[in-house]
Amino acid sequence: MTASASGAPRALRHPRGLALAFAFAAALLLAFIVLPLAQLYASQSEASLARVAAMAEVRSAILLSLTAALATTACAALLGVPLAYLLARTTFPGKPVVEAIVDLPLAVPHTVVGIALLFVFGRTGIVGAPLEEWTGIRFWGTAAGIVIAMLYVSVPYAVNAARVGLEGVDDRLEKVARTLGAGRWAVFLRVTLPLGARGILTGLALTFARSVSEFGAVIVLTYYPMTAPVKIYDLFLQSGLGDSSAMAALYLAITLSLFVASRYLFRERREPESMAAR
Amino acid sequence: MTAHRVTVENLSLRAGAFALRDIAFTVAADEVLVILGPSGAGKTLLLETIAGFNRSDRGRILIDDEDVTAAPPEARRIGFMFQDYALFPHLTVAQNVAFGRRFAARGTDAEPLESLLERLGVRHLADRKPRRLSGGEKQRVALARALAASSRLFLFDEPLAALDARSREQLRRELKEFLRRASVPAIYVTHDQAEALALADTIAVMRQGSFVQVGTPSAIFNTPADAAIAAFVGVETVVEGEVVAVADGVARIAVDGAFVHAAGAVLPAVGARVLACIRPEDVALAALPQRDSSVRNHFPARVVATESAGLLFKITLDCGFPLVAYVSKQSYLELDLANRSEAVASVKATAVHLIAR
Repeated sequence: MTASASGAPRALRHPRGLALAFAFAAALLLAFIVLPLAQLYASQSEASLARVAAMAEVRSAILLSLTAALATTACAALLGVPLAYLLARTTFPGKPVVEAIVDLPLAVPHTVVGIALLFVFGRTGIVGAPLEEWTGIRFWGTAAGIVIAMLYVSVPYAVNAARVGLEGVDDRLEKVARTLGAGRWAVFLRVTLPLGARGILTGLALTFARSVSEFGAVIVLTYYPMTAPVKIYDLFLQSGLGDSSAMAALYLAITLSLFVASRYLFRERREPESMAAR
Repeated sequence: MTAHRVTVENLSLRAGAFALRDIAFTVAADEVLVILGPSGAGKTLLLETIAGFNRSDRGRILIDDEDVTAAPPEARRIGFMFQDYALFPHLTVAQNVAFGRRFAARGTDAEPLESLLERLGVRHLADRKPRRLSGGEKQRVALARALAASSRLFLFDEPLAALDARSREQLRRELKEFLRRASVPAIYVTHDQAEALALADTIAVMRQGSFVQVGTPSAIFNTPADAAIAAFVGVETVVEGEVVAVADGVARIAVDGAFVHAAGAVLPAVGARVLACIRPEDVALAALPQRDSSVRNHFPARVVATESAGLLFKITLDCGFPLVAYVSKQSYLELDLANRSEAVASVKATAVHLIAR
């Protein structure tokens, strides 16, 4: 009793104690995130950056990473938004199982993802083999394989963020739209989608970011043609830190600026569009 | 504009814990039906079923003699007004109003949008987003939006419930004026008596999925069908007694420690158990017994409690049975009710409503 009685006034005398302690921990964490990347840049010379940037293999690897990530993002949008909508708007038996399945890729080591994907999309895989026979499309050693690998590890971000965005859309607006003559598709396209767009776009930005940074699943499925992370690893094995860190800095500059730009574009521009007086 | 009409026949539906049982009514073009009931009565379920969001188990819904029972919401041409009116936040006022036009059948003789915006007084807001509109502006935009979609029926689901008292009154007045001129029938759901009184041509009292009484506002408020309705529409005094005499259109009822007189065209027989209902605004208080021949009930009473109730004072009395009166501030001060322990309560016999037990 005495301890708590004397403890409370002390907390009041130092109201900033908690805030200071937390700010210190937060600063430590932010430094931990930023410092390695900053150091990576600080140790580059302009000459080495220019030399790496001039290498054709480096350029094509970066281009391949970006285009594959873009294709992955498009696939995630087409496949992820419908699932996100169902999770946001409907209840059905087994919904928790579906939610767990969506998050499953987050818990699987990425090399394991690559190996598992080989069983399905590989040369003798249950999808890969017949698909190659009928259409000639292959998923190992091709851009299609890269997209498959990227999609598997990044699609949870698309689904979950889109779901949050769609859940935020007031269902009374959808009902009003129906009474005004709009069918289900029109309601989705004209009301639900535009109002849930920020959540969806945030999810797609995360999907893109996850895709351009994917290494483990991609390298198992497709070593050649090389994506940027694979090429960086390749340079590291061949010539050590010098060229690989220069390419890493170059690649980071591109992907991070895209990431920052998307954060800026999809930022919360104003308070949520809730009914003001509900 | 053609005069529309909606008829609901024996509508029944089970939806989880809620159910609608044999709902039936007709609303003509110039009429407003107010559905009054406590929350959980099934009011919203009924509106959403009429709008087409739920499929009824039994019964029919007819709009202008067209059976829409099986039609999806988008084919019914019904304007639905939610709380706070649910305008599309990503569209401008003009785009909100134009929303339904895209889906309307071509070649209809619908009123041009410009003239609609003008008529509802929101033309100057055409390029604004709904977020910055006042409550009244939102209401007018929502009405314009429903009109633009050629709605044949307006459904209101407590649109004003979230507003402060002042704006609510203002918007209610505007809405009444609008509905009076629009030749579109309206069904308005609320649990607010004042709103029901102000807007209704007919009130349907709803309880546990059924209409328990349908009538004019005056009939519902003055002659409620049972004790629960009486309590819900603000009859503060409901006292049980036995009819001991009936003569000259007046029944004499023995209640706890007093006699109550009730006048009426139809009166119960001697010996019947009844509930006598007295509205608080029908009770007059005086310091001494009044000799007014038209008033048949004089109750010497003990003042139990006084309480300010907005514009009026609520006085709880004991006349052998508990009686509640609403008096003006002027009477309250004149009679010095704050310090008075006794008074005489007078109630006209015509103001006493009897419910058979």
